Amino acid sequence: MQKLAKFAGTALLAVGLSAAGLGTAQAQWQPSGPIKLIIAFAAGGGADTIARATAEEIEKRKGWSILPEQVTGKGGLNAAVALAKEPADGTAIAMIVTETLGYNRVAAGNPVALEDFTALTTVAGFQMGIVAKAEKGWTSFAEVIEAAKGGQAIRFGTMSPKLSDLAYLLGEANAVAFNTVQVRGGKAVMNGVQAGDMDLGFMAGIQAKGVASGDLVNLASAMSVPLAQSPDAATMSAYGVDFNADGYFAFVAPAGLSDDARTALSEAIIEVVSDPSTKAGGIIAKAFAGAKTISGAEFDTLLSSASNGAQGLLSAASE
Amino acid sequence: MKHNNKGELVLGLAFLAFALFVLLIWVPLDTDTGLIEKVRRRWVIGDALAPSVAAVLIALGGGLVTINALLGRGEPMPLGWSSLRFAGLSFGLLFVAFLLMRWIGPLAVTLAGEAESYRNLRDTLPWKYLGFLSGGFVLIFVSIVAVERRLTVRAFLVAVLAPLIIALVYDLPFDDLLLPPNGDL
Amino acid sequence: MGFWEHLWLGVLTVFTVGPAFEIFGIPISITLLMIVAGFCIGIIVGATPGLAGPMAMAIALPILISIFGVKQDALLPVLGFLIGIMKGATIGGAVPAILFNTPGTPDALLTTFDGYPMAKRGKARKALKAAHFASASGDTFSDLVLFTSAPFLAIMVERFLDLPEKTGLIILSLSFIAAVVGRSAAKGLISAGLGLLVAYIGKGEDFYPRLSLGQEALADGFPVVTAVLGVLILGEVFKGLEDLLRSGPQARDLSQAEASADNRFGWADVRACWPYIRSSALIGTAIGALPGIGSTLAATLGYASGRRSHARKNPEQARFGSGRIEGVAATEAANSAVSGANLIPVLSLGIPGNAAAVFLILAMDSIGGFNPGPSVFKLSGGVTGEGVNPELVVVFGIFTAMMVANALNWSLGGLFMRSVGVMARIPKHLLLPVILLLTLTAIYVQLTSMAGVYFAIGFGFLGYFMRRIDMSVLPFVIAFILGRNLEDTARQAFAATGGDALFLLHSPIALVFILVSVAVVAMAFWRSEAAAPPESHHEPKTGK
Repeated sequence: MQKLAKFAGTALLAVGLSAAGLGTAQAQWQPSGPIKLIIAFAAGGGADTIARATAEEIEKRKGWSILPEQVTGKGGLNAAVALAKEPADGTAIAMIVTETLGYNRVAAGNPVALEDFTALTTVAGFQMGIVAKAEKGWTSFAEVIEAAKGGQAIRFGTMSPKLSDLAYLLGEANAVAFNTVQVRGGKAVMNGVQAGDMDLGFMAGIQAKGVASGDLVNLASAMSVPLAQSPDAATMSAYGVDFNADGYFAFVAPAGLSDDARTALSEAIIEVVSDPSTKAGGIIAKAFAGAKTISGAEFDTLLSSASNGAQGLLSAASE
Repeated sequence: MKHNNKGELVLGLAFLAFALFVLLIWVPLDTDTGLIEKVRRRWVIGDALAPSVAAVLIALGGGLVTINALLGRGEPMPLGWSSLRFAGLSFGLLFVAFLLMRWIGPLAVTLAGEAESYRNLRDTLPWKYLGFLSGGFVLIFVSIVAVERRLTVRAFLVAVLAPLIIALVYDLPFDDLLLPPNGDL
Repeated sequence: MGFWEHLWLGVLTVFTVGPAFEIFGIPISITLLMIVAGFCIGIIVGATPGLAGPMAMAIALPILISIFGVKQDALLPVLGFLIGIMKGATIGGAVPAILFNTPGTPDALLTTFDGYPMAKRGKARKALKAAHFASASGDTFSDLVLFTSAPFLAIMVERFLDLPEKTGLIILSLSFIAAVVGRSAAKGLISAGLGLLVAYIGKGEDFYPRLSLGQEALADGFPVVTAVLGVLILGEVFKGLEDLLRSGPQARDLSQAEASADNRFGWADVRACWPYIRSSALIGTAIGALPGIGSTLAATLGYASGRRSHARKNPEQARFGSGRIEGVAATEAANSAVSGANLIPVLSLGIPGNAAAVFLILAMDSIGGFNPGPSVFKLSGGVTGEGVNPELVVVFGIFTAMMVANALNWSLGGLFMRSVGVMARIPKHLLLPVILLLTLTAIYVQLTSMAGVYFAIGFGFLGYFMRRIDMSVLPFVIAFILGRNLEDTARQAFAATGGDALFLLHSPIALVFILVSVAVVAMAFWRSEAAAPPESHHEPKTGK
């Protein structure tokens, strides 16, 4: 059934295209075959769901065929390395986080270069907060520092080396030392905090519902701007750390993609994720306070400044 | 109860040697962080610790097997040259079958003089089934004939039909599934 | 949200989410459909000598994941199907055992002792009915124990165990499995060590993928399905093929005796069998709850205890082994009572105890969104609004699925079971090559990479050699699955205690776990190597 529908869709599209081709000189870009979508996130997680739902909706809207594939591990670098080897004709794209091409790439000693990729578009920004269980009684990060100064051993959950660096710097700046517990993925931080294995931790949006229901508290924003959900929680600069954990879920393609393809792919993605009535758009609206679509040259700038920031953070944390 | 436990002795020593190789050569050379290391002024467990623990377990087991063999306990080992020969032959069969599976499709596309590449045809008939059916046929047919020690129509039919049914079961109802080797292109 | 709301939601998800079609206006949910399908396939598979529950689960899993995807709502249909297979295979295994003296699954070996003599006397139907009744009773009892004890165990773990203790608990489970599963504790240790080593390849905290020999295909380690299916399924297929190559195609005596008049399984029979079913169900449940000891040992112990008490109480009657209906019941109740209880460590600790549990964990792991362990039993999840813990809903969904399967078992199981005797006629040498191709295809479809298939073949040969040197593969598989968990927990415990190198010894509970681990291995070594008992091959139920 689905196949038939897709065939019909493609046929219609082909007819429409040839008709359009008669009218306008510039034909709409079409992939030469099925598009491989490399997903850098564990199957079944929030990010994976967004990637797959986006792909499904694009298939429906554009009639393209998209084949999702998981390449996880090493903070997205495995996916980046795999993508860099694919042909740059629009038949291979990947969904990663900007941290992959920023901090993780630099920390890993540049297994790939920024120039290996064509940036398509970001889809959503982290709502990265420093979160604790409400029953801890803390309302701000300042109280955590107080508790640590009072001699309490504080376990700080993180999910990437970058966040561990930030946790370290937060302690450094306030003359306390945290026991940083680095785990795999935001869900693991959430479980650790819930189970009492950690006292607080970084969460990138997964905390939204818990904060709303009063189970969890955003003690601080780990971004350059306040959290949408808890605007009163101070940013880390209030605690003497000038770095931030800003980051985005984003789509990229191999370097050398033609401008036509770049625009067509980016637009197709943006159209889906900014529409809250689609499944992908709906999830993004709920957990990440709406789609953030930075594309084109602006996205290029974002990536290069993220790389520069990573250098600074790495050297600050290794002092 | 004493047995001829030479096989067990060899086995125990082999695992002991493997464990030492892992512990002293592979792990130190192929991990970038040590057993424990200092990161951000704190000690953390490095990447070498867990594999080392695994190697110690293997060494422990290998040592116990060796001791048992020396004491003449345990049972004689059934592994012999015939097992190695079987493994070699089946490996060869699998190798040929998967060689066909991987390359028959692209080869046929080239021979047929198609303008498109196999990569772009991998989702279209008949190309997408060529590799799977031929590789599957060889694998099943040779296996059955080897056991029956004669050529039978039944073996031929099973070897033709089984891969075809498997292919159709995956491919007809499900849109996104790719049969081997079509996801590798 | 409270306990009952979660339970109700779980029941509702099974019955109402994703209606596949309607019968007389009543929508039939996809989960329900999958349970029924899994159950029927399970019976067929169990009744086919050479196939067994875990093998079917292994082949089905990648297919199911490809069909349903890795979405949240895929979890219950997939788990329902696997649970159906697990339960169906248990009763299916008795069919060829009784009819043709060929156990369909390894744990049905003892069913042949009394079942086949009964069949030769023309009482095959009666034996099948007794097997079904005992099997369904044992299974249901075991499930009820699971439902009541898993949540409490989970709550205890959550309340009393911190990171160091959790590390100790995983070490204890692993040593227990390594020590008790195979014939030799020493080889069990090697098997577990190999599993851990393989699990640690490519994974790790550092950006350089450790032990990967610079190979990019290994950058994220071996995919779980390649190692598990390779060692467990392909290894068994290779071994089966080699046995057949040596012996030539097997001819079985498939003649059936003419049915006698008395093939009813009435109240008198139920009364006669009941004491044996009761004690076997207890034995099977207790054994199932311990990781590593499978249904074959449960069946052996259930049968042995039944034989002893029968000889004591009824010295005037013929002994077990001569075609006693009580013997069939004692075996089948014991091996079926394993399947529910083996989910206790799975759900409350995330630790798989046998091959069937491995595939349930693998399903949860591949689909994601459900991480078995103490946190799933929390009443407030915090992840979603209104205080619903979606994982607890899934738990109740799983329980509901198990009860649905039990209901199927009681109502249709017996009937269906008596019609699958024909499966024993499929020659094994036609079956095995097809299974080989099917397994490799299933792996490919999930991973879409030839590298994955090659890895699986490599692991298949590893599993083959392990079987040939009499080394149990189950410690390998379970260590492989738990390996990463063990390392992560240890890392976290070490970091959380501020770099205390002796964190395992500073907490009294963790210390106890470690001491018990050492004691278990030492005792098993002492016992197994000194005596080498003849009948203790507790291999997982994968064929033959």
